[in-house]
Amino acid sequence: MDIFLQQLANGLTIGSMFALVALGYTMVYGVMRLINFAHGDMVAASAFVGLTIYTQVMGQATSLGAVIAIFLLSAGSMAVVGVILERVAYRPLREAPRLSAVVSALGASLVIQNGIMLIWGPRMKIFPELVPPLSWDLGGVVISLIQVIILALSLVLMLALYFFVEKTRMGAAIRASSIDQDAARLMGINVNSIIALIFVIGSSLGAVGGLFIGLYYRGITFNMGWQYGLYAFVAAIMGGIGNIPGAMLGGMVLGLFNAFIAGYVSSTWADAFTFILLIVILIVRPTGILGERVAEKV
Amino acid sequence: MKKTLVLLSAALLAVGSLAGGALAAETLKVGVQAPITGSYANEGQGIDNGVKLLAEQINAAGGVMGRQIEVITCDDQGTAMAAAICAKDLVNKGVSMVIGSYTSTCAEAAQKTYFNAGVLQTSDGTADSLTEKGYWTFLRNSFPNSAEAEFVANYLVNVKKYQRIVVLSDFSTYADGLANATEAAIKKLGGNVVSRDKIKADSQNFTPVLTNIKSKNPDAIFSAGYYSDGGLLRAQQVALGIKADFYGGDANDNPDFVKLAGSAAEGAFIINVPEPAALPYDIAKSFIADYQKKYGEMPPSIWGLMNIDGMRAIIHAMEQNKSFDTKKAADYLQNLKEPLPGITGPIAFAKDGNRKGGAYVVKKIQADGSYFNEYVQ
Repeated sequence: MDIFLQQLANGLTIGSMFALVALGYTMVYGVMRLINFAHGDMVAASAFVGLTIYTQVMGQATSLGAVIAIFLLSAGSMAVVGVILERVAYRPLREAPRLSAVVSALGASLVIQNGIMLIWGPRMKIFPELVPPLSWDLGGVVISLIQVIILALSLVLMLALYFFVEKTRMGAAIRASSIDQDAARLMGINVNSIIALIFVIGSSLGAVGGLFIGLYYRGITFNMGWQYGLYAFVAAIMGGIGNIPGAMLGGMVLGLFNAFIAGYVSSTWADAFTFILLIVILIVRPTGILGERVAEKV
Repeated sequence: MKKTLVLLSAALLAVGSLAGGALAAETLKVGVQAPITGSYANEGQGIDNGVKLLAEQINAAGGVMGRQIEVITCDDQGTAMAAAICAKDLVNKGVSMVIGSYTSTCAEAAQKTYFNAGVLQTSDGTADSLTEKGYWTFLRNSFPNSAEAEFVANYLVNVKKYQRIVVLSDFSTYADGLANATEAAIKKLGGNVVSRDKIKADSQNFTPVLTNIKSKNPDAIFSAGYYSDGGLLRAQQVALGIKADFYGGDANDNPDFVKLAGSAAEGAFIINVPEPAALPYDIAKSFIADYQKKYGEMPPSIWGLMNIDGMRAIIHAMEQNKSFDTKKAADYLQNLKEPLPGITGPIAFAKDGNRKGGAYVVKKIQADGSYFNEYVQ
């Protein structure tokens, strides 16, 4: 029994990281119908930016204030990078065939990945131990402080995003742009600013995900974005791409599924089963778990 | 018209052969096949730096029988696919020996190409399969897995008397081979292996596997994989409250292991041959001092130095034979009467290309990240 609960805790931790990253994919797809393949590499970049902020700006301070500042500064820098990425790589291709935009996204992914390698080098960098290595044994289930922080902060961010999109005027503008950009423009919505906003939100959530990876796993490499990006992308599709609660749910489902397969079947097969699950979901519900059946625009 | 054409082609031929001849006479081409980028970049760059330093020293002393050494580096990224491409590339560039690669997987992927071309290859790869193919071109400059497996098994079962041992590895040629050999050796000594698990290298999240291991209630974990995973395994083991002693195989012997494990590193054990700074030989002290002077850091581990020893042995053989013939050099090294003095200890090769000997140390990691030699073979 304690194995089950332990795997549950493991799955929820990694699932919430997947969910944070998946939000970036799903929001961009929702509004632009574009898979932003560079998102995973942005996540990796944020971990390196966070590390540099820690060593260069914060002078290796490990106080709570310094950690919060690292999160805010990294999220801010990645938001700027995200907006630049959209302006340079995606906006010029907005009217172009969808394939061109996808190729541009793949190109941007390579540029960012190699940029990280050239700036920070090809070696693995080690993230500092910013969170004290505390853990509690709750009747056989061990939960560490970092896991609690990851879960709590992810939930807060996801709830905040949900209410922002569902309950505010800005959120209404985002939803309107995702349904029909031309109609939204006729209603006086500046679609360009909405898309920029989407990249700001998606990139900063991804940045938080990247910092979590650094804090939780410690070792960061320039090419790790591909792995996390792929998982988050699968999570977004599972939940229904374009659907914000879907990405959160997809991330959690993926994290739990992965932990249980690795725990009860074999870690060797965890990846294979993940993609089998994706295929099954796509066959049974092609639009994902929470995806709505929307007629494709022709 | 016809005449000019013939003249022209004859002239071209002459120029071509002159240029080719001149180039071949000028340098001794030494290839480096190592992971310059990727997860093992630290080690790969250590090999490359070491080879370049040795080449510089030999060239400054007049080269090898009048020829200057030219180092050609190819990055195999630690992947078999890139390694196979590197092998073709280095052979095409006309190298007569290749130093590397760091991982057994990459050394194995390139082996046949070097064998077919008659190019000598010396690698620190420890997988037993590397020397089981009968390639005369392959010279292992480290000690094979089977030697380490027997040492580990004896230490865990007979010295420490553990009752419930877990053996872990990833899927690479080296780690899987070492783990299988260790598991077999433990069982042969009557030890109890409660679990033999596999992880995916670089996947970072090992808690599902470790949670399973926890339920088996082990008293010792032997991880045969690489430091990039080992450090995280140790950190996650401690975070999950698994009380077992952690033993890392030789590929965990890298400063990054301690950095990755963070405060959890203390108390973990690493099993390997002695680290560079602890090498007692004069030749080791002077080479390491030169290395530090040139690159401003210690060699990342002993593996780079083992590769340097392989290169030194081959060049020594060529000089003794007074010939650049690779087959003769291999024959010479496999029939040494006296071992050559090396940076990492005496070097001699068996007929199958294995390095003879092997002395292991169990090192305990202290609170400040330094090693304490717990047990010396």
